[in-house]
Amino acid sequence: MIDLLTGMLSTAVLAGGVLALAALGEVLAERVGVTNLGVEGLMSLGAVVAIITVVATPDPWLGLLAATLAGVAGGMAFAFATVIVRANQVLCGLAVTFLGLGLSAAIGHDYAGVPSPATFGRVPIPGLSSLPVIGPAVFGQNLPVYLIYLVLPALAHWVMFHTRHGLAMRAVGENPAAADAAGLPVTALRFWYVTLGAGLAGAAGGYLTLTYVPVWSEGLVAGRGWIALALVIFAGYRPFGATLSGLLFGLVTALSFVGQARNWPIAPAFLNMLPYLGTIAFIIVPVIVWHRMRRIMAAPAALGVPYHRDVR
Amino acid sequence: MAGTLHRLPTVTPARRLAWRAGAIAAALAITTLFLALSGRDPRLLADLVVRSAVGSRFGLEDLALFLTPLLLTGAAVTVTGRIGVWNIGAEGQFYAGAIGATAVGLFLPGPAWLVLPLMAACGIACGMGWILLPALARAYAGVNEIITTLLLNFVAGLLTTYLAVGPWHDRVTGALASTGRLPVRIPEIWGVVHWGFPIALAIVLALAWLTTRTRWGYQITIGGANDQAARYAGIPVRARILGAMLLSGGLAALAGMFEVAGTVHRLQGGLANNFGYFGIVVAVLARGSCLNVLPAALLMAFILDAGIVLQTQQLTASAVLAITGLVLFMIAIADELAHYRPVTVRRATTGAEARP
Repeated sequence: MIDLLTGMLSTAVLAGGVLALAALGEVLAERVGVTNLGVEGLMSLGAVVAIITVVATPDPWLGLLAATLAGVAGGMAFAFATVIVRANQVLCGLAVTFLGLGLSAAIGHDYAGVPSPATFGRVPIPGLSSLPVIGPAVFGQNLPVYLIYLVLPALAHWVMFHTRHGLAMRAVGENPAAADAAGLPVTALRFWYVTLGAGLAGAAGGYLTLTYVPVWSEGLVAGRGWIALALVIFAGYRPFGATLSGLLFGLVTALSFVGQARNWPIAPAFLNMLPYLGTIAFIIVPVIVWHRMRRIMAAPAALGVPYHRDVR
Repeated sequence: MAGTLHRLPTVTPARRLAWRAGAIAAALAITTLFLALSGRDPRLLADLVVRSAVGSRFGLEDLALFLTPLLLTGAAVTVTGRIGVWNIGAEGQFYAGAIGATAVGLFLPGPAWLVLPLMAACGIACGMGWILLPALARAYAGVNEIITTLLLNFVAGLLTTYLAVGPWHDRVTGALASTGRLPVRIPEIWGVVHWGFPIALAIVLALAWLTTRTRWGYQITIGGANDQAARYAGIPVRARILGAMLLSGGLAALAGMFEVAGTVHRLQGGLANNFGYFGIVVAVLARGSCLNVLPAALLMAFILDAGIVLQTQQLTASAVLAITGLVLFMIAIADELAHYRPVTVRRATTGAEARP
C-alpha cells in the first residue's frame, strides 16, 4: 500500500511537471494579454527536438535547452504574427498547433520508437528523501522537477507581483492603452513574454520525452498542451496556481495508471479519459459553484485583444 | 513622417482575395523550399500532384470523397462562428456521429431505406449530445468553449478505439482493429462517390439560406456582432448560442455518419482523419459565409488529395498537417495586413481642395 502511494505520487509529480511547466509559460503569455493556443504544437516540437538532440549528444540538459530554443523559435513566429502584425490570436494559435504537430511528426519520422538515450537522473535531497511516502516521490526526483515546482514559479511570482517590471507587465495585459500612455513598451513586453512562454512550452515537451515518456512517437503530447491551457484558467493566471493545478492533474493521470496496474474493473480507455474529463469538470464546476471565484480568478481584461495605438 | 501606414476599418472582397492568394503562394513557396532542402524535386512532385489529383478519374473521385466531410465540418464551424463561438470539437462530434450510426447499422437489422435514415438520426443525436455540455457551459456560465469542445475530441477518439477493438470488434475476420462491415451502405452515384456528396452540397446551400434569409439566422448574426446590443433588442442570445452549437454538433456528426456508412463501411480508430480540425480551416477561409464554404472546402480537399500523392513519395501524412498549418498561419497574417494601406501625408491645403 505504501509502495503504491509512493509510486502514484512519484508519477503524479513527473506527469504534473509537464503540465505545470507548460501552464506556467501560458500564464506569462496570457498575463500580457495574448492567448497562445499553439501550446500543443510547441510541446510536440520541443519533445521531438529533445530526442533528436540527445540521440546526437547524450546530455539531457542539452536536450532540454534545444527543446526550449525550438519553443522560442516557434514563439517568435507566433509573437510576430499576433503582436507585431496583430493577426487573429485564435487562428495563429491553431496554425501553430497544426504546424507544430505536422512538423514534429515529419522530422521525427526516423526517430519513432527510438528510446531516449539520455534521461534526467534522480537527485535525492539528503534527509528529506528518506521521509516515508512523500520522501522518494517529492524529494527524490530529478533536478528539473525542483526547477519546475519551486524555482521557476517562485521567480515568476516574485517578478510578477513584487517588482516594478511585473506591474508593467500586468498593466499591459489589463489595459494596454493606459500602459502605452504611461510610456510602457507594450509591443516589446508582449512580444518577449509570449516568446518566453512559448520557450517554456517547448521545454515542457522536452521534459516529457527526457523524463516521463522517454521515447518519441507521433501524437505523444496527446492533448497535454490543451490541458495546460485549461489549467491556466483554473489556476487564476497565477504562477503557483499553475504549478499546483499541474500537480493535481498529475494525480489524476497517476490514478489512471494505478487503475490499470491493479486491474480495476474499468477498461483502460476509460481511465485514459480521466485527465480530459477532469479538466472539463474543473473549468466548469468552479464557475457555477462559487460566483465570487469569477472575480478573483478573472482573466486579464485585455486578453486576446490586439492593441492598435491608432484606434485607441 | 512622410510615408506611413493607414489602417482601413473594412476591406473589400477583391483586396482580401488578392492578399489571401499571396498568402497561399507564400505558404507553397516555403513548402517547396523545404521539399527541395530535403532532397526532393519539387517540380516533379508538383507535376505528379496535378496529374494524379485532378488529372485522373480516381483523383477526382477522391476529391469528392474528401469534399463531403469537409463541407459538413466546415459548415459546422462556420455556423457557430457566426455567433462568435469557436467549435474546435468537430472532430469529437464527427466520432460521436460515427459511433451512433454504427450502433444502429450493426445492431438494427432492416432494409437500407429504413436503416440509413435511422443511422443518420442516431448519429446526429449523438453529435448533439456530444456538444451539449460545452454548449450549456458556454451559453449559461460563460465557460471558454474552445477548451471544453477540444478536450472532448480526445475522449471521443479513445471511445471510438475502445469500441472498435473492444465490445464491437469484428469477431469474424478478427484481424483488423475495427468493427465488422456494416450491412447497409449509402448507394454510390459515380464511381466510389456516394449520395452523401450531393446531400452535403444541398445542406450547405440550405444553411446559406438559413443563416442569411431567416429571422433565426439574423438573430445569430446580431448576437455574434454585438451580444449586448442583441440582448437589448430582445434577442435570446443564450438560447441562440445553444441552438447554433447543437446544430454545429449535428452537422459534424452527419459527416461522421457519411464517412462510416458511405466511405469506410466500418468503425475504426482514427476514422475522423482530422476532418474536424480541417473543418476549422475551411471555416476560417469561408469567413463566416456558408456559401464561401464551397470554394474553401474545395481548396482544403485539394490539399488533402495532394497529400495522398505526397505520401506515395515517402512523405508522412503529417506533412499535410504542417502544410495546412502554414497556409492557415499565412492567411491569418494576410487577413490583417490587408487592412493596411501606405499613405503619403500631403500638405493640408491640397488635401482640403481634393475634397468634393
